[in-house]
Amino acid sequence: MSVKPSPKLRPSGYDALVALAVVALAAALGFWMWRGGTQQGLTAVILVDGERVEQVALRELDHPEERTLTAGGYTLHLRLFPDGAEMESADCPTQDCVHTGRITRSGQSIVCLPGRVIVRLEGAAVNDGGPDIVIG
Amino acid sequence: MRRFTGCFLAALLLLGLTACGAKEPESLQVIAMDTSMTFTAYDGEGEEAVSAAGQEVRRLERLLSKTDKESMVSRLNTAGGERVAVGEEVCSLLKAAETYSRATDDTFDITLSPVSSAWGFTTDSFRVPERAELDALLKNVGMGHVSIQGDTASLDAGTQIDLGAIAKGYASDCVAEIFRENGVANGWAALGGNVVALGSRPDGSPWRVGIQDPQKADDPNAFAGMLQLKDAYAVTSGSYQRFFEENGKRYHHILDPATGAPAESGLLSVTVVADDTAGNGTMCDALSTALFVMGEERALNFWRSGAYDFQLVLVTQDGRVVITDGLADTFTSEGDGYVCETVS
Repeated sequence: MSVKPSPKLRPSGYDALVALAVVALAAALGFWMWRGGTQQGLTAVILVDGERVEQVALRELDHPEERTLTAGGYTLHLRLFPDGAEMESADCPTQDCVHTGRITRSGQSIVCLPGRVIVRLEGAAVNDGGPDIVIG
Repeated sequence: MRRFTGCFLAALLLLGLTACGAKEPESLQVIAMDTSMTFTAYDGEGEEAVSAAGQEVRRLERLLSKTDKESMVSRLNTAGGERVAVGEEVCSLLKAAETYSRATDDTFDITLSPVSSAWGFTTDSFRVPERAELDALLKNVGMGHVSIQGDTASLDAGTQIDLGAIAKGYASDCVAEIFRENGVANGWAALGGNVVALGSRPDGSPWRVGIQDPQKADDPNAFAGMLQLKDAYAVTSGSYQRFFEENGKRYHHILDPATGAPAESGLLSVTVVADDTAGNGTMCDALSTALFVMGEERALNFWRSGAYDFQLVLVTQDGRVVITDGLADTFTSEGDGYVCETVS
């Protein structure tokens, strides 16, 4: 014996519209989350003696920019690029910050111990097989 | 009504999806104990944990610094041979240093401080001391010049200590304890060349710990190898970390207590790895220095002796990466031009 659904229970055009809206919203949200996970830009955070003095969204740079940092009696010249940062020069005695080279990954930092300056990259965590932590 | 229910369920779905993103970790980076330190917690009371970790390393810096005139170490160094009530914590660390000195045949020695100062490594005013100057300074080197009684200690005249080769390891033990007290099961702390990796990454896989390529120390993306660690300490000592050049020769900061000169052991770096048992951060720190001074053969014999439970990654001057067999499943060679050897 077959049972016909009541006319009230039959899907109507409005039901199809609601279903379509849900699918469209889910797809849009998925796309937004995917972009956030893989294309979110790097931010260079500059700390002097523990205080955050500036943060720069690197992907908004259309050309390299320079910052001159004066800290602990030393002057440091920082260059910011759309994909990273490097300490171009410094008059500190150790030069460790200059020797660090260009940092390009989230979590990497350039540190000047004498000047107590940290330039740290944040955001854009990617699962590319790179290290979470570096020792040495 | 059914359409309203549909819309409501759709809204719930969207709210649920927005919660799918991984929780951002709590992270803090500070300069302390003459190095950069980063604390990252993925769960538990993360914010409290990293904040407390930052306070703890500053407390230890005030206690153990050689350059802070108010520190216990400075008071001991300037006491002119008098006994100083340095406290239980400092005495405990001095005893640990004494133990590791004895165990490593004095290749680890906290009393090298005046020799290190003569080279300028503590002041960044680098120079090459004369042999006679080093010989004179070495007469006051050795743990036999340190007396520990209860919570007091004294140094023979002319002897000074520097806990730099063990203090960050001890700090990593303290930070790990703070993380656990705050319910942080997954997170890590990097204190200069000292790492403690608790739990795992958010996807459940081990933490990936890159060992800096000593031959490309200026490249932050160059690694001699990658360790995959869960609940472990790892500490690296390397000749590339602090050095100066004079007349075309490089002089690094890891001094051989037998000669007072930079250790010429054929190694570029030593990484010591151990599980997260309390105290292993201190052990890894002390052993990384001692085994660098020993060189490959003695270091591997020390490992084989089983005196302590740890594993090794040695990067040699002749282009090899030597790992002990306990790391065979967790180490991946990364550096260009290195030949990887596993020993047992």
